[in-house]
Amino acid sequence: MISFLAIFISVILTASAALTMWWMLHAWRTPETLHATRFSAPDGEQRMSFSLLVPARMEENVLAATVTGLLQSTHRDFEILVIVGHDDPGTAAIAAELARDHPDQVRVITDTNPRKNKPKALNTALPHCTGEIVGVFDAEDEVHPLLLEHVDHEFRKTRADVLQGGVQLINFHSSWYSLRNCMEYFFWFRSRLHLHARMGFIPLGGNTVFVRTEVLRENGGWDQDCLAEDCDLGVRLSTRGKKFAVAYDAVLVTREETPGSIKALVKQRTRWNQGFLQVLRKGEWKALPTLRQRLLARFTLTSPFIQAFTGAVIPVGILAGFLLDVPDGVALITFLPLLPTLTMLAFELAGLHEFGGQYGVRVRAGHYAKLIAGLPLYQLILAVAALRSVWRESTGRGDWELTHHVGAHLRLREDT
Amino acid sequence: MTAVLLAPSAPPVDAPVRPARRHRFLPVAVLLVLLIAAHAWNLADQPFPNDDEGAYISQAWAVQHGQLAHYTYWYDHPPLGWIQLAVLSWPGQWLLPGLPALVHGRIAMLVVLAITLLLVYTVARRLQGTRWTALLAMAIAGLSPLALSMQHQVYLDNFAVMWLLAAFALALSPRRHLWQHVAAGMATSFAVLSKETIAIAVPAVIVALWQGSHPSTRRFSLAGFFSGMVFTASLYPLYAALKGELFAGEDHVSLIGTLAFQLHDRAGTGSVFVPGTEAHELLMSWLGNDPVLLIGGLAAAVAGLAVRPARAPALAVLLLVVVALRPDGYLPKMYIVQLVPFLALSVAGIATAVVIRTERGFGSALVTTALIVTGAIALTGWPVTGARMLTESTNDGYMAASRWLREEMPVRPGQRTIVDGVLWVDLVRAGHAPGLGAIWHYKIDLDPAVQRTLPGGWRDIDYVVSTPAVRGEAAQLPTLAGALAHSRVVATFGAGDGRIEVREVLTTTR
Repeated sequence: MISFLAIFISVILTASAALTMWWMLHAWRTPETLHATRFSAPDGEQRMSFSLLVPARMEENVLAATVTGLLQSTHRDFEILVIVGHDDPGTAAIAAELARDHPDQVRVITDTNPRKNKPKALNTALPHCTGEIVGVFDAEDEVHPLLLEHVDHEFRKTRADVLQGGVQLINFHSSWYSLRNCMEYFFWFRSRLHLHARMGFIPLGGNTVFVRTEVLRENGGWDQDCLAEDCDLGVRLSTRGKKFAVAYDAVLVTREETPGSIKALVKQRTRWNQGFLQVLRKGEWKALPTLRQRLLARFTLTSPFIQAFTGAVIPVGILAGFLLDVPDGVALITFLPLLPTLTMLAFELAGLHEFGGQYGVRVRAGHYAKLIAGLPLYQLILAVAALRSVWRESTGRGDWELTHHVGAHLRLREDT
Repeated sequence: MTAVLLAPSAPPVDAPVRPARRHRFLPVAVLLVLLIAAHAWNLADQPFPNDDEGAYISQAWAVQHGQLAHYTYWYDHPPLGWIQLAVLSWPGQWLLPGLPALVHGRIAMLVVLAITLLLVYTVARRLQGTRWTALLAMAIAGLSPLALSMQHQVYLDNFAVMWLLAAFALALSPRRHLWQHVAAGMATSFAVLSKETIAIAVPAVIVALWQGSHPSTRRFSLAGFFSGMVFTASLYPLYAALKGELFAGEDHVSLIGTLAFQLHDRAGTGSVFVPGTEAHELLMSWLGNDPVLLIGGLAAAVAGLAVRPARAPALAVLLLVVVALRPDGYLPKMYIVQLVPFLALSVAGIATAVVIRTERGFGSALVTTALIVTGAIALTGWPVTGARMLTESTNDGYMAASRWLREEMPVRPGQRTIVDGVLWVDLVRAGHAPGLGAIWHYKIDLDPAVQRTLPGGWRDIDYVVSTPAVRGEAAQLPTLAGALAHSRVVATFGAGDGRIEVREVLTTTR
């Protein structure tokens, strides 16, 4: 009985870990796939107009730099809508100053909802958008001046309704967990999202996401009660058969920073996990047309929990293999889930090397060592966040835990 | 706006080149049928059985009966080779139950050979592009007298080289898919788990992978390859660890202990350069069988390092040769099996390089002449040796003995018969108790579990099936020598040194 259970759990975990790995490695499957994940070279024409939404809540530190960065764009037809809360005079003052300096391009939208969150802010601004394309950025984002021009071309080339651009955490040197966090983003935006776009089911990211304004309005904007409004929007638009494009280029990615402490990381991850749970429970994904899409949706939305479970169960399985009196063959099988996990670690090392090359940063031997040594503890953090999100969701705590930004990625840019 | 270079520039991605499909397979199929027929023709009669074949056939029998070995498994080799043999020999056992176990084993090896030859063709095509050099490589790999004499014998090396060629083929696939590169790593570790000595040639697979991968995805290809290789191979020491048999200790076998024995304590076969040593004799016998491929192939390998179409197989050849030439190592008889396909691929690679240069107008007359001369020697030398291989029969005694043991020999409960590995399974199939009733001669004085059941030494033995392998070991095995000395011949098969005698031991305590 114990043997049967051990085999069953081990095989399931191995299969799910191997499948996740396979999806994570999508972009590197063949040189042709990798080539196709990039932005294609723009044709020099600018035909689309953009409304860029920047929700800012308690972001006095970084807002001015972000908006100034956006204003550097080489595209000639865009407006920036900074959304501030009526209860946040500090940020509002900075936004107002920016609008005064750039009256043609920057507007301030005030969100008067009594309880505030990001989807409410975005929905407040949606009626004011005049561009054909709505783009969302966070207040701490560092955006490349050429991005809009490429997005313009990509929209015309692919005839997509939604385009997700790359987002990359950059400050891998800050701490052991920021290194792992950076790698997570690298594999997600560099690789995995392209698979989702191809399969027609995509949990969108929170920023550098571009949607045709009419499509957003037709579909009622963002879900104000969802903690992962970005993921939810992607799922809803997927079920309506909208066309997605994903493009990644190291030069054009939006640069962000990792959470400043492990506590903040746990909070952020809890929010995402809880958001995924909410999207799963809403069940809109069940309307996806094909079984493959529905399976991908179910698997993707539950994967934070499977991942946490795997992290917790692997050591138990190995201990059981050694200590319990099971046949040698069964004991061997309890080790199987370790193989995809270790293989993924090897791919992460390759990924870190490629990351260093693409971003022109020096990755030292110590970073590789940290990436390896940090794996178990990071798994533990993910497991804590997963458990916490389940607890919060089941006890009905749906409030927004804000992540505080200090601008570490901006300093890195100055350093290098 | 101005065009910007967005990422570190990588070479352009070319669409994979696919050969024309029409008539692509016909010549390969015809050649394969011819080669397999040549091996099948004299399968049972030639060459004389080696007792190692018997060991693997017996261990495959054990696998079919739920064990890793017919006696205590002592990590002499990783078990994957005879696990595959157990699977592949099953259809023959089921369809043709009247054949000796040796023949069942050798029929299974025809499958391995067929796959090996197809892989030689595939690797040659992927490395060299032209079909005729691929056919040439395949023909050499199957028709060299060295191949004809050893490739249908039941050796672990045949499995190992098949898997290593599979790794080459996957690493060089024009699709350059990541899963193929992970699978190449797994195939490499299957090769090593079939016969550990092939690990020497692993760097050659890495060269092939380097050639077969695109710069933009190479990091991931390498990571996938090494993960596939290391983690699959690690299951073997892990198995030992779970059984408490990884490290040497009192009263139990161990992986490390056996490895230490094989690397340090086992008597070497001497240097190939010193006449009179076993290694030298072995080299001379290989050279006697096929000087053309050995010398020509080695020359091609040395030159081949410099040209792309031959580089990876040439490196495999040179690595295997360098290790074989070390002064006091252990050179097993079947070592050459690992070399033959890579020698053939090196020759084909050099042939391609020469042709390409000739077409470009700066052909080297010298090399072309050398190739033609070598080819001519091969064409005159091979048929003579080949004809001998195809017509000579050395195994009539074994075949007759096998039949007698299965059909004529009396079986009584508790009867103990010493037999060599080749005939062991035949005896067991005839109803003798495996292990302690039918006793593999090699275990008689070396396995404590067997010794315990023979308190009276040779007096507890009823019969000895005396084959050259049994007689050869008698000097080191006192119980066996005693039984042979106190026995009379019941039946004899064959004549001369190769004869097989069934001997009844005369003084028993019962």
